Amino acid sequence: MTQESWLTIPEFELPWMKSRGTPSSVLPHLVLWWSVDEPQRVGEALPIVGPTTLGRGFALSDDPAPRSQPEAMRPSRSTPTGALANARISRVQLWVEPRGEDAIFVRCIGRTPMLLHGRPQSEGIVRMGELIELRNAALFMLSHRPNPLAALRSARDPDFGFGVADAFGLVGECEATWKLRDAYAFAATTDRHVLLLGESGVGKELGARTIHGLSNRRQRPLVSRNAATLPDSLIDAELFGNVKNYPNPGMPERLGLVGEADGSTLFLDEIGDLPEKSQVHLLRVLDGDGEYQRLGEARPRKSSLRLVAATNRPLSALKHDFLARFTHRIEIPGLDERREDIPLLLAHLLRRIALDNPALAARFFERRQGALAEPRVAPDFARRLASHEFTHHVRELERLIWLALSTAEGDFIGVTREVERELKCAPEPSPTMPVVEWSEVDRDSLLKALAEHDQSPTRAAKALGLKNRYVLLRLLKKHGISTPGEGSDE
Amino acid sequence: MTADSQLLLDTLELALSREADFAQRFYQVLFEAHPELEPLFYRSSRGALSKMFAQKLTAIVDHLDDPIWVDRELGTLARAHHSYGVSPDMYPPVGAALLATLKEACGDDWTPAAEKAWAAAYERLAAAMTGA
Repeated sequence: MTQESWLTIPEFELPWMKSRGTPSSVLPHLVLWWSVDEPQRVGEALPIVGPTTLGRGFALSDDPAPRSQPEAMRPSRSTPTGALANARISRVQLWVEPRGEDAIFVRCIGRTPMLLHGRPQSEGIVRMGELIELRNAALFMLSHRPNPLAALRSARDPDFGFGVADAFGLVGECEATWKLRDAYAFAATTDRHVLLLGESGVGKELGARTIHGLSNRRQRPLVSRNAATLPDSLIDAELFGNVKNYPNPGMPERLGLVGEADGSTLFLDEIGDLPEKSQVHLLRVLDGDGEYQRLGEARPRKSSLRLVAATNRPLSALKHDFLARFTHRIEIPGLDERREDIPLLLAHLLRRIALDNPALAARFFERRQGALAEPRVAPDFARRLASHEFTHHVRELERLIWLALSTAEGDFIGVTREVERELKCAPEPSPTMPVVEWSEVDRDSLLKALAEHDQSPTRAAKALGLKNRYVLLRLLKKHGISTPGEGSDE
Repeated sequence: MTADSQLLLDTLELALSREADFAQRFYQVLFEAHPELEPLFYRSSRGALSKMFAQKLTAIVDHLDDPIWVDRELGTLARAHHSYGVSPDMYPPVGAALLATLKEACGDDWTPAAEKAWAAAYERLAAAMTGA
């Protein structure tokens, strides 16, 4: 065979030559952050593809632009969840249009006043992570997301309801949270040692429980301990166990954490606080196929353990060769990276509090047909959480909730003086646009709009971007134009 | 959309825009006039009741041109109300409270045409729910 003929042989497509497929395009979405009438729908997202109408109910034939409807977005698929049914917003409430890569233009054309950055505005620019507030009705956060979210590689398709906690207690539907679930699932299948990284309060223990719960070791209980709480003089005894009366008379026999975790998972939190000497001892167990010795005992023992460790300290706090034993390093995102999950976490934490505290449930929650329903959360509380800079993440959110509950004067959860003090580091962002006043519509425009819409005040009002037909009727009166009859609208 | 359904929608939107707590006000009006009805609603908090009422009312008005949807919804509502102990004689006071609240919220913009349209719509709704 000549060299030329070799070149003409069709080549089998090798795995790395296959197309990875077109990644989902990233679109602006308005994520429902708070809703007075439909609190159970927070976390649902409305995609903004070009000029878009938002409002209550299904699309109308005379919507000023195609209507966006909410979706429950999950990996690989987004499920329509039905039209917004919030009675406090108009059938045609907002007109929205993408502006550049990370902003949208929004105009309020419905009856419910709109607030941007906490100030009443009729139109303005909203950037990623900012809120649109419909006064006392709903809050939406602008987010950029692929639609649908990227497919899961290791985690199973979700078998829990949208927005609620998964089987291990992790709450969240944003991209970062689903990537985290995927990373846990991958780590769980491999039986290798795992290091969880993240700031205090991000949920590292929850991560360890998830990995253990998804692994083949889940039949045995997770052994969990905070390394920072091990007394210096007893670290080795706590880790590896000791025989009775060793090293001091009167010492009880200890199995040791390594022995207890045989066939299971050992979770050591704050591993960065473990002295270097103990890291070396633990390293020997990890290197020696689980072989260890109890203090005061000559014979070696074996433990088939998997170590999941966690730290919020720099990796330099760990010995290099100890660090190298952790095949998987999973960075757990803080609330600033999964901000869209805050309202879901808020609902979850409040519900948990209510179930444990009937008196708080009776005071702060609605009741439907005798059952616990949604909490009364004031919009300012929800709004301020969106811009708060969390340093202790979920733990801090829980503390803020308790502070709001304990200092509330009424029967709702709002921003009390005490909560305000905690939020003082996160002042309201300054508006990116000045307040825009509605310009008066002139006589010619009114006449033209009416002529173009068969004298229908409703349709003419919509075309002019007025809030409703009554505003138009008042303008007609002001300009001395005869008012079309009530029945002549159609 | 028919002229009547547009008028119902417009007046409801107007009422909701002028009285943000329209549903709360409706229950006030109803219970002031008919305190004997209040115990029927004890299983839900006032806030939850108001949200449910406002949502159902707007949803029905939004779907007036979709009789299949309205029939299905009213069927479900009728069964639920029957199980709460609501009897046919309780529908007229509820209708009167609804119209009174709408009239109060709309103020000068409440017209005889609106009154007529709402009265007729409520009569149809009550008939469908009571099987009359």
